Formats: sequence, C-alpha cells, structure tokens
Amino acid sequence: MSLFPRRPESEPPGVVQNVGKRTMGAYRETWGLAQTLVGALAAPFEPGVSARAVSSRLAIRQVFFTGFEALPLVSVIAIFVGATIVIQMQMLAAQLPGELIGRIIVAVVLRELAPLTTAIIVTSRSGTAIATELGNMKSNSEILALSSLGIDPLRFIVWPRLVGVIVSVLVLTVYFGILAIMSAYLVGVWIGASSFAALQAGFAEALVPEDLVLYLVKCAGLGLLVGWLSCHYGLQVRGPTEVPEKASRAVIMSLVVSVVFNAAVTLGFYMMVGSPVR
Amino acid sequence: MTEIPRSSRRAHGVRGGISLRGVTFRYPRSDVLVNASLEIEKGGTTVVTGANGSGKSTLLYIGAGLLAVERGAVTIGGHPTDPVHPSELTRRGVRRGFVFQEGGLVANMNALANVALPLRYHMDLIGITLATVEKRAKSALERVGLTNNEMYELPAYLSFGVRKRVALARAIAIEPNFFYFDDPDVGLDPKTAALVHEILCGYRDDPEVTMLVATNREILVDRLGVPGYVLLGGRLLERKVPGPVESTRNRA
Repeated sequence: MSLFPRRPESEPPGVVQNVGKRTMGAYRETWGLAQTLVGALAAPFEPGVSARAVSSRLAIRQVFFTGFEALPLVSVIAIFVGATIVIQMQMLAAQLPGELIGRIIVAVVLRELAPLTTAIIVTSRSGTAIATELGNMKSNSEILALSSLGIDPLRFIVWPRLVGVIVSVLVLTVYFGILAIMSAYLVGVWIGASSFAALQAGFAEALVPEDLVLYLVKCAGLGLLVGWLSCHYGLQVRGPTEVPEKASRAVIMSLVVSVVFNAAVTLGFYMMVGSPVR
Repeated sequence: MTEIPRSSRRAHGVRGGISLRGVTFRYPRSDVLVNASLEIEKGGTTVVTGANGSGKSTLLYIGAGLLAVERGAVTIGGHPTDPVHPSELTRRGVRRGFVFQEGGLVANMNALANVALPLRYHMDLIGITLATVEKRAKSALERVGLTNNEMYELPAYLSFGVRKRVALARAIAIEPNFFYFDDPDVGLDPKTAALVHEILCGYRDDPEVTMLVATNREILVDRLGVPGYVLLGGRLLERKVPGPVESTRNRA
C-alpha cells in the first residue's frame, strides 16, 4: 500500500470530461472572484452605523499592520535599489549626462520599480499573512460563527483588509520612491556620475502631470489586486490542509497579476504621453 | 442557583420559528439532507440525534441559514435565509446564538472581545451603548463561570472547556431568539455540563426562544424531554418523547 493511498476511482475521466471539469472549475473560480470583489466593495454601503464603525476601525488597524510595520523592510529595499540603479548606469555609460540619469531614475524608479516592488513587498509580507489568517479562520469555523452572529464576513473581514492594502500600497510607494531617489542622488554624486543640480534638473524635466494619474492608477490597482486575491483565496479554504496551498496560490496569483497589470498600465501611459518618453 | 438568561426583548419582525421545507444538501461524496423537512414553532425546542458523520452539524448550519441549500426553502422567524448577507436577518429582528462544537471563537480576539463583538457590531440595532456592551459581555462571561484573568486571554491559551463556555457566553450575551447548540456538553467537566444543561432548560422554557440542539448525549436528551428527529442517510425521522437516543448506526 502507498504511504498516501488515494481513493479508488471507478473509471478514469476521459478527455472531454477533463476539459468540461476544467472549464467548470475556471468558471466557478471567476464567478467566486467576482462575488468576493463586488461584495467587499458594496459592503460599506450596507446599512448599520455600528457595523460601519467597527469595519472602519479594523481598516485603520490593517493600515498599521500592512503599511506602518512594513516601513523598515521598504526602507532597506528602496535605499539599495536606488543605489544599485545609479551604479549600473555609471558602469554602462560613464559619459551619460547628469540630466539623462535624472530622467532615467524617474522612469525606472518612480514609474516602475516603486509601485511594483512595493506591491511585491506587500504581497510577500501581508498577502501571505491575510490568506493564511483567513484560511485558518475558515477551517476553524470562525467565519461561520461570525455569520451566525449576523456579522457579514465581507464587511468585517474582506473590506477592512482591502482598504488597508490599498492605502498601504499608495503610501509605501511614495515612501519607496523618495528613499530610492535620495539614495540614487547621494550615491550618484559620490561616485561622480553626476552633479546634484544636473540630476535634479533631469528629474524636474522628466516628471509630467500624467505621472500623478499613473501613480494613482498603478498603486490603487495593485493594492486592490493584492488585497482582493489574498482575501479570496484565504476564504476558499475548506480544511486545515488547504491553508498552505491556498496561501501559496494567493501569493502566486497576486505576483503574476500585479506584474501583468503594471505592464498594461505602463503601456497605457506610453500611449497617453507619447514617444519619445521624456 | 445560576440565573438563567432570558430573551428580554420581544422581536417584532419575528413571525415564526425555524422551518426547513423539502431541503436537499449534498457534499461531493455524501448526501446530508435529501428532500428533508423540519418545523419548529416559535418558542419550541427540537433535538436532533444521529450517528457520527451523519450531518447533524451541517443540519444546524442549514437551520441557522449559514449554508446555501441545493433545493428547498429555509426560513427563520418567517424570513428566508441568505448566507451571503447574514446581517439581513439580524436587521429583521432574528438574533441567532450558535454554540459551535469547537467554539468557533475569533482567534485574534480575547475572550471578552469575542463576547463583546456581536454586541458592538449590532449596537444600533440592539439599542445599547458602548458602556452597556462591556457590562453585558462581562456579565455573560461571569454567568458561565469565567475568571477575570481568563476574560483577557486569547482563545489559544484557554482550555477546550473554557473556550466552549466563552462561546456559550457569546451566544447568550446577544439575547437570542433563535438558539443553536452543536454538541453543547461534549468535552465539559460534570459541573460545567450541568450548568450548560440548566441554561438549555431555561431557554427551552422561554416562549420567545426557538431552539435546535444536536447531540447524542442521552442525559441531555432526557433532561430536555422534547420531541426530536434522528438524522439518517439524509432523512429526518421523527423521534417521540421521552426516549433513548436511537442506535442509528444499527439502523443504517
């Protein structure tokens, strides 16, 4: 007998059955994802003054856990990412004008690395925590217990986490950008890549009003995706053995979807601002 | 003598008891209910017995409107249930108290916070102040014999019996008009079990409280002395009062 004996199947499924099963699975997953998102976004508009107050307090706590407590990790990564980029630029083209280095820092750090790296940090730190916590809650009947007391899980559990992650990604991205640019400036001047004034001129020249739109769309979108997917897969747990599996799925899906979303928004930004990119 | 909590507020939106009509509910590899019906009139009590794994807990979840059924209708207090929006029933005056087999306490909240949570969440619906929430939560915990130290502990640091008492306190604090007990006295010491039996008998005699109890403990079935059902192969068979818990395993 195998160490992990499997249930004997009466008849192995055929190709058509397999395709049908997978199609139904994909449909159910998409429908479930939509239900989680719509339910969570509609939650604050449900009646109940006290329920609204409780959910809002939980959202503030979530911002603290997801945003404030991530500051040390974000600081370390931002400082070294900023420094590394300016060193690489100096190694590749030592004669690069200071203004161009400033512009490249805006394009690479502010527009791309800051939001995406922040989303990756939040996914690895809080996405796993949310999916695991919700998975454990589900397998310990905590979610059913809350429902039995008339407490909406989407309002009490999902909505505060969604808000917490979105606000955290918005704030942490700004923090990441500031630290990475400061680090790039300091290291750039130190290794002689450029003068401080030239970098600043390039930086000011590169920034366009559309950058604010890009920042808001990217950060709010990435925060929404990470929070939504982490909560959804956490709530899909049916038993304790599924907790690590769903947590892992939540992280993988969050990372893949975040990278694709980031690229899509960048493409949209390119089409909006036009070429050549300033 | 322990003071028996009573449902103090008459809920105006409640027009009946618990009703399951033609309900079918299946797990992927087992049928829990097949076209089953169960009626408990307002203020009534029913005990459900059945072999381990027959689906008693699931029946309670369905009866409390926590699970969506494949077919049939479930109403509580005359209102259809909606598992996706559980607060809807509360807004209509249905206050459910559910004592889960394993407690079902929120792991990152201490015992006091667990009991206070539903009160705080529904403060406006119940019509109480924040000060009353704490008073009522503490009073419910004291009623089930929790010490002051235990009130501030997380569930993970409490014994199984104490966790179950906290779950009971959480359910009674909300002054429910619908009460669900899933194996309420299993794993408890004789003194605590007697306290739980006493509380259950108190609710059985309260005309405002409709109660559904799942158990296999003959002592509790005898003590409650009410008619009930045996859950067997997805069917609900009526059981007369008083009588021993039928050996469903043999009948299956």
